[in-house]
Amino acid sequence: MNRTDNPIVNPIVVLREESDEWAILFNPDTADAVVINPVGVAVWKMMDGQRRFKDIVLEIKTRFANASEAAFEEIVAFVDKLVERNYVGYDLKIAMDDGKIAG
Amino acid sequence: MTEKLPDKTKLVMPMLMHTPRSVDLEITTRCNLRCHYCYFFNNPAVDYRELPTDEWLKFFDELGALGVMKVVLAGGEPFIRDDLPELLEGIVRNRMRFSFLSNGTLIDDEIAAFIAGTRRCEYVQVSVDGSSAKPHDSCRGKGSFDRAIRGIRTLQRHQINTAVRVTIHRNNVNDLENIAHFLLEELNLPSFGTNSAGYLGTCRLNAEDVMLNVEERQVAMTTLLRLSEKYPDRISATAGPLSEGRTWHRMEQARAQGAPAFSNGSHLTGCGCPSNKLTVRADGAVIPCSMLAHSELGRINRDSLAGIWKNSPALNQLRSRHTIPLDKFEFCAGCSYIPYCTGNCPGLAYTTTGQVDHPSPDACLRRFSEAGGAIA
Repeated sequence: MNRTDNPIVNPIVVLREESDEWAILFNPDTADAVVINPVGVAVWKMMDGQRRFKDIVLEIKTRFANASEAAFEEIVAFVDKLVERNYVGYDLKIAMDDGKIAG
Repeated sequence: MTEKLPDKTKLVMPMLMHTPRSVDLEITTRCNLRCHYCYFFNNPAVDYRELPTDEWLKFFDELGALGVMKVVLAGGEPFIRDDLPELLEGIVRNRMRFSFLSNGTLIDDEIAAFIAGTRRCEYVQVSVDGSSAKPHDSCRGKGSFDRAIRGIRTLQRHQINTAVRVTIHRNNVNDLENIAHFLLEELNLPSFGTNSAGYLGTCRLNAEDVMLNVEERQVAMTTLLRLSEKYPDRISATAGPLSEGRTWHRMEQARAQGAPAFSNGSHLTGCGCPSNKLTVRADGAVIPCSMLAHSELGRINRDSLAGIWKNSPALNQLRSRHTIPLDKFEFCAGCSYIPYCTGNCPGLAYTTTGQVDHPSPDACLRRFSEAGGAIA
């Protein structure tokens, strides 16, 4: 089994959109919570295991007109933080002999 | 559609969240005890009827979809419901955490093991009103102390976070020192909370027998303030003598020094609940809080909870209570504590004056002083 580059959210984690300006990711098993902004919400909703990480970044840059050049690094740091807290994982697929990835 | 990255300086707490984070659920009207100061029973505005399992499960699905983070299960006595495991499974399935308010007497190993197994229990709060059976049972009924303590020990054995609430009344006001020792040193609880019998429900019928008079209130305040120094950070209160003792001391100091008004002073700011949570009565009526059980905002599984939360005129009126200045009330006329006063609980204001938008006379420092009370 190989790790793909497709991040996927932990389905137990709840996204609570508190207002138009901020949201909470809440893990009911641990009571741990993280506050995120609208970009974080958009990234969270795109981590469905189907999109590659770089495609998520591209889409964010398209959707958020004033996204900075540092957006890539910021999103990497954000996702890494969520992976560390077990809010996000990477989809696992079987590597085939020809190097392709089987779903 | 293009969105903009938010300006970080604008990331401030909004006045109102899209949905409540927490919902209190009175899942039953039944209780195996009949405590003399119970706020729940003997409220003429309440229809004492409870919903079947499937109604609650359907409602939990709605709470889950709204992202509600936790529910507090109360009653009546929540452990009296035979379908409790099924209800808890519905809560867990909808990615919520839960807590209990209980008298502790019906907690056994089987249900404690079930609760522990869910990993979603924040705490079980058990009422303990004495260091021994006599003061506790005086208001709660014979045998209730032993069964409550057995319940606490069962929870502890299953490593469930156990909270204790002590309701102070005429029969235990002189037992507070022993209660603190018993709970913190013998039962080894990390902390406990306190309040006092309030003029609600059954307590209104027994007020003379259970509610503290001025002298007893002062004894309770003095003793609890001393005990909270002896046991730092281990005795808490959001209402009742300890809370009043701390608040009134700050108010008296500020008034004596001519200090500027408190940021939450001079208006009816005493309650933040309507912006944080909702309560559901056992019959499915949505209400702002157990203390305002008469104020029906809608019905679960008929009205949208998000709709009630955002649009209920009664709820929004309650939320705007903080804009009402205290100096408009005849009750507050000439009071030098106004800049430091919040008017306190709207529920107690309602039961004593018939008006929600009124300061609570029960929590009035001037009234307490005029009746002979002194600040520690």
